[in-house]
Amino acid sequence: MRHPSSLKQEFLKKWIMGLQRCGFSSKKSMSVMERKKAIKLSADLAMASTRNGTTCWSRALIANASRNHENKILAEQILGPESQSLKKASSTMPPVICSRRIRSKKILKRSCSSHVRRVRKFALSQKVLSANSVAKRLVRKRTNILKSLVPGGEYMDDISLIEETLDYIAYLRAQVDVMRCVASATEVVDRNSD
Amino acid sequence: MEPNSASYVPGSCPTRPEPEETGLESFQFRDEIQRLMTVPPENASSFTALLELPATQAMQLLHSSPHSAAGGGDEHKPYSSSSSFTNGNLTFPSNKALIERAAKFSVFAAAEISPETSSVPSNSSANLDKVKTEPAETDSNPDSSNKTQKLAKRKEREKKGKDCAKKSKNESCEDAEKLPYVHVRARRGQATDSHSLAERARREKINARMKLLQELVPGCSKISGTALVLDEIINHVQSLQRQVELLSMRLAAVNPRIDFNFDSVFATEGGPLIDSNIPSVVSPSMWPENPFTGNRQNFQQQWNFDALHQPLWGREEENHIFITPENSLLSYDSSANSASLHSNQLKMEL
Repeated sequence: MRHPSSLKQEFLKKWIMGLQRCGFSSKKSMSVMERKKAIKLSADLAMASTRNGTTCWSRALIANASRNHENKILAEQILGPESQSLKKASSTMPPVICSRRIRSKKILKRSCSSHVRRVRKFALSQKVLSANSVAKRLVRKRTNILKSLVPGGEYMDDISLIEETLDYIAYLRAQVDVMRCVASATEVVDRNSD
Repeated sequence: MEPNSASYVPGSCPTRPEPEETGLESFQFRDEIQRLMTVPPENASSFTALLELPATQAMQLLHSSPHSAAGGGDEHKPYSSSSSFTNGNLTFPSNKALIERAAKFSVFAAAEISPETSSVPSNSSANLDKVKTEPAETDSNPDSSNKTQKLAKRKEREKKGKDCAKKSKNESCEDAEKLPYVHVRARRGQATDSHSLAERARREKINARMKLLQELVPGCSKISGTALVLDEIINHVQSLQRQVELLSMRLAAVNPRIDFNFDSVFATEGGPLIDSNIPSVVSPSMWPENPFTGNRQNFQQQWNFDALHQPLWGREEENHIFITPENSLLSYDSSANSASLHSNQLKMEL
């Protein structure tokens, strides 16, 4: 696993670069919401770029950002020159390939289950209240929620979902750390300069 | 249950940190090994010939097997059981007939690769080279059939008579040279058709990853049960996302002038200084108790006190901010202290 402080360094560098390119340096007055969006966006892209397309959530983040045209330019700048192939991969991959995967899985399930359904119908009716099925239902609900939380999660199967969640949690933590420190530092500066 | 083999050599097992052994399984395997070790020499040589391994490696394999097998995780325990060695990405066997034959075989397991960071990092790799069972099975099945029948009979006599005869398969590694089979060990009393095996392998994979997640998310390690753990994870992710939102609002609300200068400070001088100052002094007590896998362990190793002697004391303080851990109180304290220095520098820059 990557060294956390090097991760944070990289994130910080890219984030600040993104912020500058976003228009912070031009001193034009942006509203608070715009600034917030710009901050968040550059932070997301910076973090996604540190993963360099190895994880699904980073690709999904980049893909989502690239859909908006103005964000696309920012994304290119932050990601750097190697981003071209990455962007192509990220824009096409998640929806197309994963939906293909989902479709093929559904076909498989349908073909398998038609036989199994007859056998299990009887057992199912008795099993509706069994602890096992209740637990499975609960787990199912929660994995769906998790899928909605993790970017790009809807297209993943359970196993890779958990791996992506691990990575995503590490990323969120690093982001929160860096942002908190930067925020408190700038606030102190602000206070002192007044 | 206690193992009955006095002559069994536990010390010679490869150094895999097996979390726990179910007594039943260890009993089974040691029993089997005992029997195999008392097998007459020509059978022993054929057995090793089966494995196409030199005798020493075969014996090592035999010794390693109960540990690897017993570490296979226990279905009866809840999800919190530690079966960290089952972390690998199992691919499923394509040839069912071969699997059936392998099932009659009582050859022993080898390690499994865990590609992601698990608690069994390098120990398993030592065992990987020793298993080559596929060609062995095809070549020597006729030889072994008698032997396995004998073994099976003895097993049935000695065991308490479960319904399912014990079938074992080998776990092969994921090397490119080996065949792309995954043999999963079927435990006693469990179905061995490929569907349930596949399901079980999948479940074990999921459980292993859930363990990692549990270690990562604070407060999850005591919870047992997938649904509750997932609940905690979801809450954690949501809270982190909310924190990011709040912090970005905070940053957005900061006076743009300061923001800009802040940027310039870092952009111009941040790079090389951050690199050189990163192993700076942070008190280790600030880290939370459960380091998540690999990440913080590496980080702690890098801490040294040489940073004290660095000439740019001020800059070091500034970087101190970014290494502050998540412990919010401490981070606010330290950042407040160091931010004052930082603000002085900013004023100088301005």
